[in-house]
Amino acid sequence: MVTAYWFLVMSASMFGIGLYGLTSRRNVLRMLLSAEVIFNAALLALLTVSSISPEGSAAGGVLALLAISIAAAEVGVIVSVAVLLFQVKGSVDVYELSKSKG
Amino acid sequence: MSLPRLDALPLDLIVFGITGAAALTSAVMVVKHRSLVYAAVFLALLGVSNAAFFAMLGYSFISLFHIAVYVGASVTFILFSITMFRKVPSVEAPAKALAVASGVLAVLALAYVFYTYLESPTSTVTVTYRELSRLFVERYRFPLIVASIALVTTMIEGITLARREVRA
Repeated sequence: MVTAYWFLVMSASMFGIGLYGLTSRRNVLRMLLSAEVIFNAALLALLTVSSISPEGSAAGGVLALLAISIAAAEVGVIVSVAVLLFQVKGSVDVYELSKSKG
Repeated sequence: MSLPRLDALPLDLIVFGITGAAALTSAVMVVKHRSLVYAAVFLALLGVSNAAFFAMLGYSFISLFHIAVYVGASVTFILFSITMFRKVPSVEAPAKALAVASGVLAVLALAYVFYTYLESPTSTVTVTYRELSRLFVERYRFPLIVASIALVTTMIEGITLARREVRA
């Protein structure tokens, strides 16, 4: 039988891959994709841990539903910022954001 | 030494192995693929693999919601947004070794933290729609309102940013 530990190891591996992508890239869209990998890892860990606890299984499901909804909103915000950055600066380098004013 | 026969392995182990391989391969391809379009497609595959994990844990409703909302909306949104960029310059940071080290350290640290769950069996939970909706209305009303407001403000922000014209 697959124990909860292996689900959590899978989640940790995904987190490590996402963290590597997030820290090694300067492209806003690449960073967004890597952050989404980390989000998937966190969601898997949340549901694994909540499935173990007898009281928290339904609550974990509710939190996961909320997290997925908020992630959809977050994607919209970051893609909008990336589109605007590309329109204004002609680049999606995240270092250009620090030079932006207003 | 002979390998164990495939039909002697438990089915959940086989499904977990296939899904895990698909998830990890997709995650690596999201980070490493040169084309952003293909990276977004692999993110969709990662979402589907994750949904399979949720179904294995017993959260079938959340698995469907993940595919519908996350893969169907978010990843598709990213995919279509990428096509708006005529050319996306690839900018690479010099500190690759540091990034690899941080990723490996994170995996090891989390594997150590999760070690307490080594013997914990995954119990297949059954969460009904009625229970979820009751929890939303009774205990998580405020987060539901906040999430709704966040979605609405995101929509307004997206429209505002997309309508902004660049002065020549």
